[in-house]
Amino acid sequence: MHGGGGPHRLSGMTEDQNVVRLEDVRKEYGGTTALDGVNLQIRAGEAVAVMGPSGCGKSTLLNMVAALDRPTSGTVVVQGEDLGELNETRRALFRRHRIGMVFQFFNLLDDLPALDNVALAAQLVGAPAKQARARALELLDELGVADRRDVYPAALSGGERQRVAVARALMNRPALLLADEPTGALDSRSGEQVMDLLLDLNQIGQTLLIVTHDQRLAARCASRVVELADGRVLRERALERTA
Amino acid sequence: MSAVWRAARAAVRRRRLQTAVIGIVVGLSCVLIVVALALLAAASGPFDQAYAQQRGAHLVASFDSGKATDTALADSTHRSGVSAAAGPFDQAAVEVTFAPDPRAPSTASQPPPLVMTVVGRDQPDTAVDELHVWQGRWAVRSGEIVINVEPTADVPMTLGDTATLGDGRTVKVVGLAYTVSQSAQAWVTSGEMATLHPTTKQMLYRFTAAATDAEISAGQAAVTAGMPAGALLGTQSYLTLRFNAELTAGVFLPFLMIFGCFGLVVAVLIVANVISGAVVAGLRHIGVLKALGFTPNQVMAVYLTMVLLPTVAAAVLGTILGNVLAVTVLSGAFFESYGAGAFHVAPWVTITALFGVPVLVGLTALLSSVRARRLSAVEAISAGSAPRPGRGLRVQRWLGGTRLPRAVSLGVGLPLARPARSALTAATVLLGVAGVTVAIGLSSSVTAYVDADTRADAVHLDVRPAKGGPTLSDQADESMLRALPGAERVVASKELTMRQIGGTEPTQVRFYRGSDAGFEMPKGRWPAAAGEVAVSPRFLTQSRLALGDTFTLERDGKQLPVRIVGEVLMGAAEPVLSHWATLTRIAPDSRADSYEVKLATGADVSAYVAGVKAGDPGLIAEPASAPSVIVAVYSTITLLTLLLGAVAALGVFNTVVLNARERRRDLGTLKSIGMTPRQVVLMMVTSMAALGLAGGLVGIPIGIVFQRYAMHAIAHAAQIVIPDHMLDVYSAPIVVLLILAGAVIAAVGALFASRSASRLTIADALRTE
Repeated sequence: MHGGGGPHRLSGMTEDQNVVRLEDVRKEYGGTTALDGVNLQIRAGEAVAVMGPSGCGKSTLLNMVAALDRPTSGTVVVQGEDLGELNETRRALFRRHRIGMVFQFFNLLDDLPALDNVALAAQLVGAPAKQARARALELLDELGVADRRDVYPAALSGGERQRVAVARALMNRPALLLADEPTGALDSRSGEQVMDLLLDLNQIGQTLLIVTHDQRLAARCASRVVELADGRVLRERALERTA
Repeated sequence: MSAVWRAARAAVRRRRLQTAVIGIVVGLSCVLIVVALALLAAASGPFDQAYAQQRGAHLVASFDSGKATDTALADSTHRSGVSAAAGPFDQAAVEVTFAPDPRAPSTASQPPPLVMTVVGRDQPDTAVDELHVWQGRWAVRSGEIVINVEPTADVPMTLGDTATLGDGRTVKVVGLAYTVSQSAQAWVTSGEMATLHPTTKQMLYRFTAAATDAEISAGQAAVTAGMPAGALLGTQSYLTLRFNAELTAGVFLPFLMIFGCFGLVVAVLIVANVISGAVVAGLRHIGVLKALGFTPNQVMAVYLTMVLLPTVAAAVLGTILGNVLAVTVLSGAFFESYGAGAFHVAPWVTITALFGVPVLVGLTALLSSVRARRLSAVEAISAGSAPRPGRGLRVQRWLGGTRLPRAVSLGVGLPLARPARSALTAATVLLGVAGVTVAIGLSSSVTAYVDADTRADAVHLDVRPAKGGPTLSDQADESMLRALPGAERVVASKELTMRQIGGTEPTQVRFYRGSDAGFEMPKGRWPAAAGEVAVSPRFLTQSRLALGDTFTLERDGKQLPVRIVGEVLMGAAEPVLSHWATLTRIAPDSRADSYEVKLATGADVSAYVAGVKAGDPGLIAEPASAPSVIVAVYSTITLLTLLLGAVAALGVFNTVVLNARERRRDLGTLKSIGMTPRQVVLMMVTSMAALGLAGGLVGIPIGIVFQRYAMHAIAHAAQIVIPDHMLDVYSAPIVVLLILAGAVIAAVGALFASRSASRLTIADALRTE
């Protein structure tokens, strides 16, 4: 898995340091508080599942870590980078190099076949098309969908789409893989496959932050569960992964 | 309030930007259309009205008193086709010197004598050419004169002023009258006229048919039938006066109409784009409306109302603004009232803009919103949520494999996803580029013409006597000007005001000493001997003469037959050019009143001017300037180009907004995987620049076709001839610039919209599932 190279790491960073550190993070939308003083640390190689009922702030927390949104107050540090200090361009570069994202609804570009959807992430960094497609094919192969490389997203099954999305997320060897309800739009069989995939990734050192409702996914893939309620961390607990 | 109205109002509120774009484009189109149509209506309207009021003469004919007897002239009024006639009146070209204008500075010199066509008429209200005495009264006794002045003109005299005639007698101005037929410049009693020894009789005719040159010629043939050869000295056709009345307006009309129509088509394209975009973007909304119980017609009505609200508001505002602009601009620049009253915009112009534009836009919206009507609720809701497979996929795939930066290749492929919208946008840019092409072509052609007309192929100086007169002799001044450094060509000339027998307006004749003065001559040759003249195409048209014909000039009672040997490319400023040898037959002791100096390229103009002043302080040297009408043409073309370019850019802006709205999720995805704001802008701008390039490539030939049409129309209106080489003005660098113009118009339009797309909040965008 991972096609060689491993996740991107900042030079000088040691394995026991936190990849993610949230300090007293608060986020308000108008008069609604989505996150209310959240503190969280994720170490390299950990797989953390964030769980909680709808509207508890799970996706908002993920958006903060992915530099997709800014907190109203508090600090978000990922791989030593204080995201609050980055302008939009540097946040984009940060996402490009450090973060891989998997969404519930895949968010593949409908106009591009599977291979180009995956290669796109590397091409945005400036990789030549040939090289980017070669690596994309390698990843698709590792994820078992190489034979679907020329198929457009509309013709792929849900599980296939999510595998392509995972391949795209891994394209630039991110330090942190974020997954937002990765099995939420899948049937149980496809969901199982995606769980296996995430587990495999974590086992070779990929740090994971998964937002999910799915107890089975958390139990299968996560080493730690963070439970949110009303924008606050209710409790954290370590898990023994199930087989 | 009906449900349709509520839904339409909500749709307008949701699409403030598109509403504003529609409003601006429709409003601008209305302004242009009102101004163009008002100009069209005003071009000949007041003239025709005044002609009808005064029962103007279709033909003013001058006869030789010695050859055409009073009986023959009286007989001519009963010929077939003559509906009314007046005359015969005695007529003479008389030198008149007016007393100095009391409003002029006391240092002003005595005004020069004018050669005026004076007619002896005992009453103003004849069956033809019923004069409008708008101040004072008609001349009833000897020593009184009535002057022909338009009521709205700046009158350099007042009642009671005196004028001295050529024989030294003094006459008093007792009245100001106006003849739209231009039958005379002044009138005296028939008794007074007899003392001026007239040799010409004037007849004024109205014909039953006078709409064409052929009909006027037929009328002329009928009234002169049976008269001895040479009895008819000259004529003036009503059509020539009408042509002159339309001249300035006629120069502007072609491109005003072109730009007005382009603007309207752009408005239609943008509306089609907005509506179809709103339908595509609002598929889910349509589905919801239908699920709520809206009938298909009600759904369509929502979309029509959404567009018609800003359209009607903008049409009203645009029409009002167009009326204001037409009255302020046209009445000052183009309009002569001919005594027919103040300028106003014809009601049909206002009605056409006010109702025609919204109807056209409404029809476009109707066609575009049919899809909203047709879609079933289920289709609409599912189409609104499920991603549609992309189009132009092979090309996009190929682009993904090229060496282009990915943001660029994605941008180039973007238009393929919505071919219909892209086609409409390309057509908008196409019209913008066509407009710019027309504008550049017109400017270049007009510049080429003006350069040829003013012979400004190098720095051109007019050197004329200053107050106090030259200190050197004529020959010495010419030699001095030739000897100064930088002089490439010096031509001395003298202008005389003469009268063309048969015409009433004075004719300016300029006599040249030396070479051909650098005029471009499309036909014939430069006058080389006494009695030879070269004239402008307009002179030939208005005099109904041709190369090789002869006509007679008159001054101080001396008549001089001249032959047309050449046609000179120029406007109307100096209609008759002749050789210095001709001048010596009329005024042998004349000295030049102007020296035209062409300086060599790169010559120091200031040094030359200083040299002229030092050589003869009695001369003034000034660089020749472009005529004001040309400056007005340039200004108008520039303004219209900017407007059309801005409107086309608005169309692109609108498309990018629609694309960004539709591709909100894709943009969010791209940003989530690391596309920077700059790359987002690059992608969106590239998507439009590619369309702009395509639009530019097609727009250029269309623009060239319209440029040629406009130049021919302008030439026809201005009665000038424009050689082909002045129409072929699109050099390779200009074509390259024009191709780029399409991309620039598109890029500018895209830039503003894509900047907001680049600032899209990713979390929000990805939540739009």
